Amino acid sequence: MDNFQYSDSPYAVRADISAAHDKFWQNLARPGNWWTGAERIAIAKEVRNALDCEYCANRKQALSPYNFAGEHNHDGDLSDVAVDAVHRIITDQTRITGAWVDGNVEKGLSKGAYVELAGLAVAMLSIDEFHRALGLALEPLPLPLPGEPDGYMPALAQEGTGFVPMLPDNGAVGDEADLWGDRSANVVRAFSAVPNAVRDWIMISNAQYLSFEGMSDFGSPANRSINRMQIELVAGRVSSINECFY
Amino acid sequence: MLRVSAQVTETEIDLQGVSGDALAAAVGVQYGAELMQFAESFALRDEEALSVARKTLLDTAGASVLVDAAGVAANFQRMVRIADSMGIPVDDMASEVSQSVRRELELTRFESAKNSFVSP
Repeated sequence: MDNFQYSDSPYAVRADISAAHDKFWQNLARPGNWWTGAERIAIAKEVRNALDCEYCANRKQALSPYNFAGEHNHDGDLSDVAVDAVHRIITDQTRITGAWVDGNVEKGLSKGAYVELAGLAVAMLSIDEFHRALGLALEPLPLPLPGEPDGYMPALAQEGTGFVPMLPDNGAVGDEADLWGDRSANVVRAFSAVPNAVRDWIMISNAQYLSFEGMSDFGSPANRSINRMQIELVAGRVSSINECFY
Repeated sequence: MLRVSAQVTETEIDLQGVSGDALAAAVGVQYGAELMQFAESFALRDEEALSVARKTLLDTAGASVLVDAAGVAANFQRMVRIADSMGIPVDDMASEVSQSVRRELELTRFESAKNSFVSP
């Protein structure tokens, strides 16, 4: 493992957290279904830019975020619509609408590409935020690997829940059979138009929060120093401040 | 999930800890006030308060608790963005437990509640 040694950390970081973060870094560098490795890393950079973006900060105070002139702080490696999508997901997610997602398709950001972008952005944020929570320096981004995106979307993905196509509850079959069992939850199905985004989601959540099996343990989940009530108090306070209705 | 885990373990808690009441956070939850203040300063991006809360949690509960709490807090920066960017509704709006939590914490005031109340 080359990344996430946490040698600068004054606290021991669990090995499964280091391993999950390192695996995501490896996945980030590879081409996906809709973006090249270089573009995926550009998306990761925009996650970091968004947190210091003056335009985002001002737009968040505006009554409507959809008619607010200005320009994002960005690296220039992605289209304007992609930059705006990353920044909006990171800094003003509660005001995202289906009409905005649909309108982005006309500007060149397909729903498949949007799902992959969102999956990368939130995984990246989750890892960077773990570092910020502990007062640690951010990990340098990986170098991109060559190759082209394959344009894959599962045949069973369908519109009808939320803003993008998703696999139905009983749609984790064939190449997607590993994603979940007989039933799922909307938050698991959310990225299923891009199956590897779900796999990254599960991998990071297993380490930072709980595995699906661990979620059924309401006492003291294995390999954790805090019990379930302590876990959910932290989760609840963060979610409340983020205005999470889900 | 906090309410469910309290019910399963037959522990009395005060859900207002989730809303930032430190005394409520400490009811039935070991290190509850310290964990809540760590989560709060982190989510508010108040770096000065976070530094204080981090040290308090470390001194009170130890490094392994701090690291696990950091993992959970960071994970839930992600979950809200998954839900809102994809526009997903709550899976079971009819659940009695989730209805009572929504009432007690007045969650319908949140903008993203719209995704769970639209007609299919």
